[in-house]
Amino acid sequence: MLRIGLLSNILEVKNLSVVFNTPEGRISAIRDLSLSIGQGEVFAVVGESGCGKSVLCKTIMGILPSNTEITSGNIAVNGKEIVGLSDGEMCRVRGVDISMVFQDPMTSLDPTYSIGAQIAEAVRVHDKKITADALKKKVIDLMDAVGIDRAVERYSSFPWMLSGGMRQRCVMAMALAQEPKLLIADEPTTALDVTVQAEILDLLKEIRNKTGMTILFITHDLGVVAKVADKVAIMYAGKIIEQGLCEEIFARPTHPYTWGLLHALPSFAENGRLYPIPGAPPVLKEGFEGDAFAERNPYALRIDYAQEPPFFDLSPTHKAATWLLDERAPKIQFSLTNTAPPKTAHDIKQTEKLMEIHDLTHYFRLGQNSYVKAVSHVSFDIYKGEVFALVGESGSGKSTLARCILGMYKPLGGKAFYDGIDITSKRRTRKDKARISKEIQFISQDSGAALDMKMTVRDIIAEPLEIHRVYKNRKAADERIKEIMKKVGLDEQLMQRRPSELSGGQRQRVNIARAYVMNPMLLVADEPLSSLDVSIQAQIVEVLSELKKDHETAMLFIAHDLSMVEFISDRVGVMYKGHLVELAPTKELFRNPVHSYTKALLSAAPKPDPEVEKTRVSTRYKKSLTEFMHEGWEEVAEGHFVLKEH
Amino acid sequence: MNLRNKIKLESLINKIIIVLISVFLLSLITFFMSRLAPGDPLASYYGDRVERMSTAERMHAYERLGLDGPIIGQYFKWLKAALSGDFGISFKYKQNVMTVIAGRLLNTLLLGGIGFVITFGLALLLAVACAYRENSLADRIICRIGTITSCIPEFWLSLVLILFFAVMWHLLPSSGAYAIGRANDIGSRIEHLILPLIVVVMSHLWYYAYMLRNKLLEEIRQEYVLLARAKGISKRNVMWKHCVRNLMPTMIAIMAISMNHILEGTYIVEMVFSYPGIGTLSFESAKYHDYNMLMVLTVITGIVVIIGNIIGQTISEKIDQRMKAQDKMKDLMEIVSHREMMDDASK
Amino acid sequence: MMQVNKVLNNFEIVGTQYSKKDETQEARKPFIKGIPILSVVILVLIILGCLFCELIMTHDPSRMFLDEINRAPGSGHIFGTDTLGRDIWSMIWFGGRKSLIIGTVATVISSFIAVVYGTLSGVAGETVDNIMMRFTEILLSIPSILLVVFMQAALGQRNFLGISVIIGITSWMSIAKIVRAEVRKIRSEEYVLISKMMGGSFMHVLFKHLAPNFMSSIMFMIVMSVRSAIVSESTLSFLGIGLPVEIITWGSMLSLSEKALLTSSWWIILIPGIFLVVTLLCITDIGNYIRGSYNSKEGNL
Repeated sequence: MLRIGLLSNILEVKNLSVVFNTPEGRISAIRDLSLSIGQGEVFAVVGESGCGKSVLCKTIMGILPSNTEITSGNIAVNGKEIVGLSDGEMCRVRGVDISMVFQDPMTSLDPTYSIGAQIAEAVRVHDKKITADALKKKVIDLMDAVGIDRAVERYSSFPWMLSGGMRQRCVMAMALAQEPKLLIADEPTTALDVTVQAEILDLLKEIRNKTGMTILFITHDLGVVAKVADKVAIMYAGKIIEQGLCEEIFARPTHPYTWGLLHALPSFAENGRLYPIPGAPPVLKEGFEGDAFAERNPYALRIDYAQEPPFFDLSPTHKAATWLLDERAPKIQFSLTNTAPPKTAHDIKQTEKLMEIHDLTHYFRLGQNSYVKAVSHVSFDIYKGEVFALVGESGSGKSTLARCILGMYKPLGGKAFYDGIDITSKRRTRKDKARISKEIQFISQDSGAALDMKMTVRDIIAEPLEIHRVYKNRKAADERIKEIMKKVGLDEQLMQRRPSELSGGQRQRVNIARAYVMNPMLLVADEPLSSLDVSIQAQIVEVLSELKKDHETAMLFIAHDLSMVEFISDRVGVMYKGHLVELAPTKELFRNPVHSYTKALLSAAPKPDPEVEKTRVSTRYKKSLTEFMHEGWEEVAEGHFVLKEH
Repeated sequence: MNLRNKIKLESLINKIIIVLISVFLLSLITFFMSRLAPGDPLASYYGDRVERMSTAERMHAYERLGLDGPIIGQYFKWLKAALSGDFGISFKYKQNVMTVIAGRLLNTLLLGGIGFVITFGLALLLAVACAYRENSLADRIICRIGTITSCIPEFWLSLVLILFFAVMWHLLPSSGAYAIGRANDIGSRIEHLILPLIVVVMSHLWYYAYMLRNKLLEEIRQEYVLLARAKGISKRNVMWKHCVRNLMPTMIAIMAISMNHILEGTYIVEMVFSYPGIGTLSFESAKYHDYNMLMVLTVITGIVVIIGNIIGQTISEKIDQRMKAQDKMKDLMEIVSHREMMDDASK
Repeated sequence: MMQVNKVLNNFEIVGTQYSKKDETQEARKPFIKGIPILSVVILVLIILGCLFCELIMTHDPSRMFLDEINRAPGSGHIFGTDTLGRDIWSMIWFGGRKSLIIGTVATVISSFIAVVYGTLSGVAGETVDNIMMRFTEILLSIPSILLVVFMQAALGQRNFLGISVIIGITSWMSIAKIVRAEVRKIRSEEYVLISKMMGGSFMHVLFKHLAPNFMSSIMFMIVMSVRSAIVSESTLSFLGIGLPVEIITWGSMLSLSEKALLTSSWWIILIPGIFLVVTLLCITDIGNYIRGSYNSKEGNL
């Protein structure tokens, strides 16, 4: 690994505070934050949404929205103070000294210009005298440098013609145009699929090694951190609470929040249990005192509620801000608070089929006469009481498949039977229809969109009960609602609240409560975790596992990465471009992946362990559809099926 | 590519068919509505003589003007003649309808066209001025004044302008399109256009400026703005080169569907200023049952408006398609044609 | 403070529940904020004045003071007299009542048609929806003045109920388009799909989800259509195809303007017009308040 000596600090942030002016008052976004990054380092800032990490990037770039205000502090880039510069002066810093890569390549490119023109703009804005030929050559060189193949051809492509990975490369080409000293990467891979993420991370590392560029890397994903970072800072509620070398943070997490973040990940699970951090990140009014994390910290000391903890040094490079390191504090060993026995292996009666999906095929209409293949010839069964996980990247057709099963789409071909009832048929009896709508329930990805903002939590959860007239009177229904709310970890007092007043995690709990209130036989959960923060994801997985223990409900669990799936499911199906490529019991699949796509998917997901990640090379998978279509199935082990490859 | 061209051609043909059907229905509706309305069309042709006409004379007059027989028959007779280019004569002016209209069409096109261009040009400038610093003092003042102007009815604004500029201060003429006998004097025409133009522009400006302002505010919330700023482009350039450029399709769509709105405004203004245009003409023809005139005028405005609507809709669909293509699913999945789909389904 | 803390032992583990945060302090958003108070007050005053015009009128509004024609505002007549010698102050309030009632009745009619038509089109299948929307477009492409002239001729009556009906049935199209767009948007929202999937019937979805959710945008449209109905009435009466001069409304008062221009009697034009504009402005402000601001995020520029 290349490491350039810490000669000088490229970025020096001192006592920075940023405040949002909102109608509800002044909210602290960044509180007294200091950090320094040396030449050639990859410095990762990790935190959950709302912790202020994006605000930090925008502050350094000088592109804060107009309702924000830097109340104190200095930022020096390459020795030059940039707080207080006018916008015109900042325009000569942005793109030249610092540049930035954004989270979502789908929205960060201007759809009306070709990518070549957009990269050219980044060159020309700081070099007005450049000739047209030299400009074009430079742009093509940049495109080559970030790995856009067929650059000359793609010069005039528009953003929407390219895939997400390609677009992110374009954004990187723009960022590299002036060979800046500092590159800020704000969650550059979050919106991408895991296999594409691995490619982009490799590219970033390659650029750093070639040019010695300093990178400030913002992410919420500790796996990514382990892969790329030299130094790590953990951020919570606008403050850095722990900072150190990458290895130190993973080996010796000292702040309870850092420890919690790590142990919310399946890789750190003990006894088959995750460690969810309770509660949700706070919104802090200006002038807040005390430790912002105290209310989520089971080891919070009394002083945490009154006084901000200072940094305590653990090593010359490692420091953490928690009173637990004070000599007066009790010495504690972090451990899982919920030491309930590990969940018993679920006994699935492989004979009782609940759902049979046979040769299901579905297309989407795109334009007048063009269609998109979403699901092609997929067959599998779901047994009673099991958790069947369907894994695949975006565009693999997994959500479409779920919606076909739910009857939201009418599939073009194939059949789906629920307990002998043909769901895809239009001629179903009224009784069958009622039964299906009672026994199959749905949890969607976007917890906000799935809830009617005009209704109260009580009414939302009561909706299926009212549709099927389960309870005669309101009181009985209320009892049931209270019971289910308690089960999913929602406070009874939230009953009269509206979804807009709830946090993302609470909304997803409401969704789960609404689905479970009917005691369904089959629950279809379409990426129930993907819009949530890591610590909240663990909470929801815990809720789902608890419910799985108490109910006979089978679940079709859809996810785009394999980490949480390992945790919750009994069997896994892997989908790729509308095809089911591998189907196996969970343990078997993780132990012995056979299809090369499954292997690529497994190897692409970064593990939160720097030792492993820094040396590992992920395998690539690039195959067109036609190469493995309709080759038939092969049973490699009991219950382990693979689509044959060439 | 071939397939794509074919699809384009098909959708174009589709749209033409829609225009034709719409115009046909429009003429049908107008025809029946005007015939069913009570009133004597002969009165506008023969004036006071009508009262002295005998039944036989009346029958003869009806026949001459194509007003005999059942209404359906009348309609098809009209349609047949219209398709061969004969739109009949105006009852009131006793001239070929097209001749009468041709003399006035230019006036309306001048007033409506210039008004349309100025309205949208100013609307864009105001929108940019407001969106550049949202909620600043300038933005709030412009919004306030704009809201007030949007509440002033066209006819009253015209009256007030005439009252001050023509009657009290004698600065500008109050009616007509040019001074008598000076039809070819451009100066005179411009002089007569100023007040009507002010009314046409003032009464529509804020409606569109506010709409564009809000669309522009949506644009500056897009992430591409951040990327452009991060490249080191100045605020002004980001606004004009990126935000306004992205606004263009939406703006053109709005312009296309707003034609009838502005046309209608022009009609009212024409009447207050006694400006000899299509507006005054269609108002007269409706009032005096000048059927042939009315039909042509309605069909002309109808065609303009329907085509405008279709242009607007097509642009919106294009924007929509871009959004759809933005959707991640297109990256990975194959796109197939209808036939391939049917083949695959039948397997 | 420090004393107490020492006694309590600052470094004792107290866990997550030791919160001194006062939940009740998180007040809900103030409801009153943003209401255009001035506009509401003025509008209420105008409405009250019009409803109880008998109490504030100084003369019989339809009485013609033949010896006091075109009198400028002064002591005898606060706002002067018009070209027929009627007292403008009294006519304003008396006519305002009719204008406001016409606006309301026309809006009730047009909103009713628009909501029914728009909802039907919104929930209908693609073909029916297309046909219904084409039809509104055809109607929209006929200048509404012509429509009114036809209707006027067909109905033959020139009374104030007639004109309300005419304005009502010629102005529903654009509201219907918006209702339809709203319904289609809400219809494809995820919570509606889920509700249907849970077995929710059409009526259930309509009343539980659609109606409450499109109410706010419809309210805005309704308020705005009161405004445009008042404008229509005054425009029509001004052009001489609405109400005759004998039936006093703000519009018919202005139809005397042409004559007033000849004598530069500014008050005949300006005074009723200003009342009209102020009323419209107040209604617009209230409408904008109902619509609310839809830009919660901050701009990136």
